[in-house]
Amino acid sequence: MLSPWLTTVPLHSAPHVTGYERFHAESPTAEGGAILFSELGCANCHGGSAVTVPRKGPKLVDLSQRIDRDWLAAFLRDPDSGHEGSTMPAMFHGLADEDLDAVLAYLGTLGKGLKLGTPRHANAERGSALYHEKGCIACHAPTPDFHPPHGGGETQVSPLVITHPDLAAKTSLLALAHFLEAPSRYRTDGRMPHFVLDTQESLDIASHLLDYQSSDPRDAKPVAPWPKADAAVVAKGKELVANMNCAACHAIEGQKAAPVVALSGSPKGEGHCLSSDPKAGLPAYDLDEGQRASLLAFLAGDRPTEDRDGGLTLAAMNCYACHDRDGIGGSTAETNPFFIGDEALGDSGRLAPPLTGIGYKLQRGWLEGVLTGAEGSRARPYVKTQMPLYAAHAPALAEWLERIDAPPDAKLLVERKEDLEAGRKLLGILGGTNCITCHTWDGQRSIGIQALDLASLDRRLRPEWFRDYLLDPASYRPGTLMPPLWPGGQSTVPDVLGGDTERQIAAIWSFIREGEGLPEGFPDHGSGQFEIVPTDRPVIQRTFFEGTGTKAILVGFPGGVSLAYDGLGARPVLVWRGPFFDAYHTWFSRHAPFEKPLGGDLSAIPETGAETGRRFRGYRLDEAGNPTFLFTDGDREVSERFAVEDGKLVRTLSWTEGSAPAVAHPDGVAVESTGEGKSLTFIYSWK
Amino acid sequence: MKRIASIVLLLCGTLAQAQESASAYTVAELLAASSPQDSRSKDWKPGDGIALEVSGMEWIGPDRLAVAIRKGEVWFLDGVLGDPSAVKYHLFASGLHEPLGLLRDGDDLLVAQRAEITRLRDTDRDGVADEYLTACDGWTVTGNYHAYTYGPERDGQGNLWGTLNLGMGELADNAKGWHGWGGIIGKGGRFEPKSLGMRSPSGLGANLAGDMFFTDQQGTWVPATPVYHLRPGVFYGNQESLGSLDLPEAPFHLTNLPKPNQPYPDALAEAPQFVPPAVWLPYNKMGRSATDIQVIDQGGKFGPFDGQLLVGEFTNSAVSRVFLEKVGGEYQGACFPFLDGFPAAVVRLAFAPDGSLFVGMTNRGWSSLGNRSYGLSRVRFTGATPFAIREMRAKADGFELVFTEPIDSATLDGALAMSAFTYQYSSAYGGDEIDTTELKIVSATPSPDGLSMRLVVEGLRPFYVHELRTTGLKSKTGRTLDFPNAWYTLNRIPE
Repeated sequence: MLSPWLTTVPLHSAPHVTGYERFHAESPTAEGGAILFSELGCANCHGGSAVTVPRKGPKLVDLSQRIDRDWLAAFLRDPDSGHEGSTMPAMFHGLADEDLDAVLAYLGTLGKGLKLGTPRHANAERGSALYHEKGCIACHAPTPDFHPPHGGGETQVSPLVITHPDLAAKTSLLALAHFLEAPSRYRTDGRMPHFVLDTQESLDIASHLLDYQSSDPRDAKPVAPWPKADAAVVAKGKELVANMNCAACHAIEGQKAAPVVALSGSPKGEGHCLSSDPKAGLPAYDLDEGQRASLLAFLAGDRPTEDRDGGLTLAAMNCYACHDRDGIGGSTAETNPFFIGDEALGDSGRLAPPLTGIGYKLQRGWLEGVLTGAEGSRARPYVKTQMPLYAAHAPALAEWLERIDAPPDAKLLVERKEDLEAGRKLLGILGGTNCITCHTWDGQRSIGIQALDLASLDRRLRPEWFRDYLLDPASYRPGTLMPPLWPGGQSTVPDVLGGDTERQIAAIWSFIREGEGLPEGFPDHGSGQFEIVPTDRPVIQRTFFEGTGTKAILVGFPGGVSLAYDGLGARPVLVWRGPFFDAYHTWFSRHAPFEKPLGGDLSAIPETGAETGRRFRGYRLDEAGNPTFLFTDGDREVSERFAVEDGKLVRTLSWTEGSAPAVAHPDGVAVESTGEGKSLTFIYSWK
Repeated sequence: MKRIASIVLLLCGTLAQAQESASAYTVAELLAASSPQDSRSKDWKPGDGIALEVSGMEWIGPDRLAVAIRKGEVWFLDGVLGDPSAVKYHLFASGLHEPLGLLRDGDDLLVAQRAEITRLRDTDRDGVADEYLTACDGWTVTGNYHAYTYGPERDGQGNLWGTLNLGMGELADNAKGWHGWGGIIGKGGRFEPKSLGMRSPSGLGANLAGDMFFTDQQGTWVPATPVYHLRPGVFYGNQESLGSLDLPEAPFHLTNLPKPNQPYPDALAEAPQFVPPAVWLPYNKMGRSATDIQVIDQGGKFGPFDGQLLVGEFTNSAVSRVFLEKVGGEYQGACFPFLDGFPAAVVRLAFAPDGSLFVGMTNRGWSSLGNRSYGLSRVRFTGATPFAIREMRAKADGFELVFTEPIDSATLDGALAMSAFTYQYSSAYGGDEIDTTELKIVSATPSPDGLSMRLVVEGLRPFYVHELRTTGLKSKTGRTLDFPNAWYTLNRIPE
């Protein structure tokens, strides 16, 4: 079967660096050159990159258990034919086939004999869902037959995608799963970042990528054993690898990179790396004209020594695939529909947050925690796309972002101890600024939409940024649903702290930081506060009800007998004894989850099979508040009254013509029936 | 940083103007949220605690207002035209499932619930409903919270219109059952679908000619707030509602579906049944989420705006004003800011028999600039004329502005500017103004009495919103406009 990934591959294509292609390919600039200088590995031999995290090749270990030898041989001879757009340069031009064999023989000895697991079950379909949901498609192509849940995604695959090599030729199911479970084992530079995937998820995604349709992973073909080589050949290979300075880019046990050869000015003479025909021993890149011009512009100019605005590093590491910073980057028209999450929160419920001023926004420790995957560091559980981890580089990245984003004139937030309680009021809904209408608090659901949790803000944000953000949310988070609650800097609650905007914001911060208990008016869900207890009359409430459906009409009779009537099927569905139900969700929750009976003594009423054709017409209440449900059944009109007498449920059916309607009774109750003519009464009693 | 500064200035300006316009209108709070107490007590009345979350209002007597609240009840409020503290509250109906509309029909009240429109009857006339009869059903109820039901409202022919929100999130299934559609209560109480392509059509209302209108809310497929003419056989653009076209009861089919990701005017040209809003209410400039529509028909008792539509505004706790005219047989017109500073999100509007406006509010499920969670306010016209652009009419070569007071032509120099923009037709959640172009005002000629002014404008653009900005324009008595700007949706340029 053809892999869904196979597309027409041009015979040769230039090395693909997404951040360069997306922002710099149209016209050659030194900045584009700076990205290529890092991402093509030039800086690994020559030094002098401004990109914060250096680009490296994969660690060369366990190759013989993970990579097909024939594929690797072809790849080394011509990287682009093995993997379209590969940034690995051709290194073997001018070398004989036996030299390549010797290099492979040596590479095959590296590692300590990796043992791959023997999982029992693989599910490519689940893998596809994970692949498209977790964020893989930010860099790689979606499968053509996958449709994002809310439309879109039918447009052409973006030219920005990093293609996969022919994975079936390159590797095996288990080896690919092993790789995906922890890419950082082999890819140390974060360009293929580390997603938090468990063993099963990794295997499922690998199954999807290989289009592996069997559910038993043990049927999958392993990597073919590499031939044994004699020691002399291995030694020759080792020497060749050392001579070629492979260790400049690749971590190889027992090999060290050669000293850096710094460059000054533009390359001179013939046969240099950027020429169309590099000398033997030098890397040969199949650069296109724009790439060559960009690199030359970079080499000829004043080379930056540090990435001062983030543009180089974010392009190099492709952070821009998901994140916007200073109006640059973020999802593209092609990838946007694949970012899914909580639609009720608008685009900020599904898209990655912008990185504009991120080093000012987040405390350094928190930022580092996000990059290392520290516990609790996922602030947005509703965003399905996962932020991958960059653990090895987290301290450096966090330090760097803090440095470049420090605002010159951040205004301090001045907290006052005595304002703490005002903070509770302001966060609340009783004359406050209603924060908890939309925001969850320490994991407890809010009243309306379930936006970012507020209780941990003090551990995440810098207080100065918090202040600036509250004054004008949309300028920090374009498209946010958060309204400006201090429009024009003026408070909308003049009676709290004298309407002093600065004090109000500081008070909110204080309460988040050290307040105890809940913001004012936060609904207390657990207490059953909204349990309906019928006392002197039956209570009727319509709602969504588990087991009854979306047009449930609940009747609670005084004395603890309750009934759920289905207004779609026009029939009683459930009778129970004990407490009636808690109407919290019906009355106050925006999300309107289905309610449940509170009582435990449930008696279901089965369908009779004669309900088809019934049409519910409503109900009447008698003086005591007992309901009579009305429905039509063909031409006849039927009414069905319910009342409780002496702890027994009395059900009376009346109809206008024909024989009696089919009736089913609650399970497990005693039934007495009486009646004549066009009326029948059933009395249900419990032991 | 420049951009932030200008936003702040803009907002300051709005607040200042609201204070100025207060002289023409006064707002009195009848009731607003105070404490969240249990409302199940027999003796509870709105005002004791939770929750007069107004979701429907209908005048049913000279001094009696019926109010539906989202908790599921209908209350009668007596004495609302008198002292607010003496208003009497009385529970008429209960146990409803999130009612979002209320209409009088003879002696009965019709109320929209999630799964049906219900006729509430008080057969023994004891002041409490004793019959809850199904007046209309026939749409799918998935159990998704966002699939709200709105209506009914009566048009000039007596049709009772309702609209069905799109579901969103868990359990949502818009592929069937008329979500994103509007329709009427048909024969035998079946919902009769008429038109599609809505997202969150939370407000309906007819104009004086009896034509029905509805508002939609910014969100997926809806770049900014639109006000549409509601009528059979048209598509309002939201493609999440297309699934029901496959049902046998579908009243018509779309001959052409507009392709997304192109400017609105181009998308409109691709599909004849796809219609533009009569008026766009630009995001933030006019508010963020429109709700109810209420025509002004008060014979001057509510100021000089009879015949125009008032539109509730949720997030900004405000009320906007819309002027409509027919050009080439279709409605189009302009919108103007009108009233703001209400204590909660404005959801329902109703005129009292004395010409005052009742404003029903609830923040439920969302947030607004109003910092109370619900409320009911009454707006009265004081008799002082507001200084406003009363009408903005399209002309073949520009616009005609009609003012409530004569303008001082000496203040015209440099006082007017105009730009035009449109939106991207796209599935995105909201959208920016795009292709904004500054237009040249060639001439501005006031009428001899100063009550109107002709603008000749170069480069009018069909289907674009034309933003008129005034600075320093004064009345002959030296007043500045209550609100300086207006937005005309120029779908068609008159011949």
